[in-house]
Amino acid sequence: MNLDLTWRLLRGGGRKSLLGTWLTLGAVIVSTALLLFAVAANFAFAARGERGAWRNPVPVEEGPFKEGAVAVEAARFDFVGDQAITVVDLAALKAGAPAPPGMPRFPAPGEVWLSPALAELAERLPADQLAGRYPHPKGVLGDEALVHPGELVVVVGHEPDDPELTAARSDDWILGKGPARVASLAGTPSEDSEAYRALTLVASVLMVVPLLVFGGAAARLTVARRDQRLATLRLVGATPGQVVRMTVAEAVIVALAGALLGAAGYAAAAPLLARIPIAGGTWFVSDLFPHPLILAGVLVAVPLLVGLSAVVGLRRVVVSPLGVARRETPPAMRFVRVVALLAVLAVFPMLSRGSSVGIVAVAVGLAFLCLNVTGPWVVGLIGRVTARTARAPARLLAGRRLVDDPRAAWRTVSGVALTGFVAGFLGLLSPGLFADDEAPAQLRVSAPAAQAPEIAGQARDRLRAAGVTAEVKVTGESSDKVVVAALGSGADTATIDRARTALAGLVPGRTPTTADDDQRFGIQILADVRVGTIVVLSVSFLVAIASSGITAASSVLDRRQTYGLLRLAGTPLEVLDRARRAETLIPLTVMGGGAILVGVFCATPFMIGGMSTVGVITLAGCVVVGFAGVIGAGALSRPLLRSVTADPAPRPD
Amino acid sequence: MNDVLVGRALTKRFGQTVALGGVDIAVRGGEAVAIMGPSGSGKSTLLHCLAGIMRPDAGEVHLLGQRIDAMGERRRSALRRTRFGFVFQFGQLLPELPAEENVALPLMLGGVPRAQAVRQAREWFAPLGLHSMEGRRPGELSGGQAQRVAIARALVSKPAVVFADEPTGALDQQTGQDTMRLLVEATKHNAASLIVVTHDPNVAAWCDRTVEVRDGHLLAARGARA
Repeated sequence: MNLDLTWRLLRGGGRKSLLGTWLTLGAVIVSTALLLFAVAANFAFAARGERGAWRNPVPVEEGPFKEGAVAVEAARFDFVGDQAITVVDLAALKAGAPAPPGMPRFPAPGEVWLSPALAELAERLPADQLAGRYPHPKGVLGDEALVHPGELVVVVGHEPDDPELTAARSDDWILGKGPARVASLAGTPSEDSEAYRALTLVASVLMVVPLLVFGGAAARLTVARRDQRLATLRLVGATPGQVVRMTVAEAVIVALAGALLGAAGYAAAAPLLARIPIAGGTWFVSDLFPHPLILAGVLVAVPLLVGLSAVVGLRRVVVSPLGVARRETPPAMRFVRVVALLAVLAVFPMLSRGSSVGIVAVAVGLAFLCLNVTGPWVVGLIGRVTARTARAPARLLAGRRLVDDPRAAWRTVSGVALTGFVAGFLGLLSPGLFADDEAPAQLRVSAPAAQAPEIAGQARDRLRAAGVTAEVKVTGESSDKVVVAALGSGADTATIDRARTALAGLVPGRTPTTADDDQRFGIQILADVRVGTIVVLSVSFLVAIASSGITAASSVLDRRQTYGLLRLAGTPLEVLDRARRAETLIPLTVMGGGAILVGVFCATPFMIGGMSTVGVITLAGCVVVGFAGVIGAGALSRPLLRSVTADPAPRPD
Repeated sequence: MNDVLVGRALTKRFGQTVALGGVDIAVRGGEAVAIMGPSGSGKSTLLHCLAGIMRPDAGEVHLLGQRIDAMGERRRSALRRTRFGFVFQFGQLLPELPAEENVALPLMLGGVPRAQAVRQAREWFAPLGLHSMEGRRPGELSGGQAQRVAIARALVSKPAVVFADEPTGALDQQTGQDTMRLLVEATKHNAASLIVVTHDPNVAAWCDRTVEVRDGHLLAARGARA
């Protein structure tokens, strides 16, 4: 009965009612698609980590099998141009050692297997720049061996007593993993992949909260448009249960359709998203599809959340049917909202960079939610101040409107204000640029002190044979000396690569590197943090501005009678426009600014050094984009205002 | 007295429907005129044309000798704000504003400082029986009280003409009679003309004369003059 009545009322509500439904549907589609993106990103990084785990060996002493090592494995990085090559050295200790992922069998001593991208690059570049380092490749690695499609990987087979697998290597994970006897090639996700997963989790929390707020706002938007009707149903005797069921039915049906369409939209967009380069490469499209159970979970959770949000929005109607029908003065909101935010913020000074990522993610999420809960209280306060101090009608109307329905006013600006929190948080965390000294090109490789002079001599011979002009010397005070091949300031990328190729294998297990190579991963992480920041802020702003536009348009429709009356009494449209603008910009300025400060405050414990120029530019850009976006979104509903007030006559008789 | 508001040969169509078929009407200063007719007869359309809310397809409307139907929307808006007052069936007060600010709003829109506008607005409450209602919001007022606030709002800027469209339509008979008495008395006290659209003869009886509209034409006039 309820479903039938809900459907009939929905259809009978006319264009205005259907418009609200379309707005909700659109909001849920966008929310679901972006929510899937935020969730899938975590799974995508996990998939990358798992695929790359085999190159991060777990020594048998640390693993579950104390006996039964089947192979020796080591990994290091080589470089070509500005790209890193992962070099995996393998030697079988027993016959029948398991095949590494992406290979048909364990590599025999002397065999070289290249990833498709490396094989293609080796063919494209002159042999003395790259192919000479990995001669006579035996085969091409499959995708299962690769973290991302364009990854440069080489697997080299050895005898177990080969110097490559017996010489000492650095323990620094940035330089690779020293030789380890392994019982299997399962390995474990590397430290850098774990770091990326942690950052992604924080980014997801920052994206998910505005999305949930947006979805919830859309649901309440539907309710706001229905409350008059549902209050009337209560007046004629509908029970609270019936009203709730009707509301939930309507919201959930629309949300389910929106969630399905949003999932389809995400699936369609996945190939494009796969082109966003992170951690040195683009994505396998399959990585961007979450597990079917997760997808099902999102498809169930979104309609449930929207339904729940609708019920919360209807609380006043259910409790008091006269409350909405007669528009009494709304009850003041409780200060406890602010106390909740202050309580969560009090936790942050206790956190540090050493805190668990889970705790940080929960704290950031809570701060975010409390900011959202505090928003309407602050908007109400701003409204009272604005109304009390208003001299002109526009500000008076705006102030009274803010006092009348602070939640609705907050919904219009909450997205952008909450994005201010994200901007404040990420702005402070954006690391500054690395020093970019134009040092003369030189390749450096560490070598045992006793052998350093001999290695330096070999280096001179090899470079001379390769036709590379270089001055080779030995430096360093410790037990490990550094052999430096200075290539001069005129050395271009091709010359450096020729020198790298000439010096390949000079010191077993060690790669000659330039100063740029040593910073390569730092620069990569910096670039990725920037890309991540841009993605998170883009998503947040898109959601926020769309939310603002939808709410502004809906507000015009909801208040068409009021606007019509004001026009009829001779109120210039400019006054109405000014009032609407003030209604948005006053709370946006206060709450947006406040949210940025809260974001900065929350990020302070994790800040590295001072605030970077990039961070300041990011923040300033966010303020400009946020204000421009909200003003633009509000301006889009101006024609709607003109249309609904074009004929201000209250009756057409 | 001279005619304050004059409509000549007013014609208005909505598609194929003729809402007004060449209506002539004149209202003197301080005069109360009732426009009666059944639903769909065109009486509200006539009111909207006379008030500058709607432009007639043909004909002219003059206020104090100045033609207003040819004015642009901006000037007609300004005219409605300064020279006309409006009372509608449901009061149509702004729900967010307390009663005194609803009354003060036309003054503020006309450039009167807020404090002065509110002070002037408050002066209307006691004479209209709204003592201590100044701070209440429309949702906290009864139908009759809301209509009296609407009357105060219509008259606060000293308009030349007050337009009332079914001002007692949502009230019980006694409250409706009280409201009409207050509306007519207050309008005359301010030397404003009053044009009331109604289908209720009891409401029309409060006016100096009544004109009847049928199918977009004036049928007859009862009272002082045609």
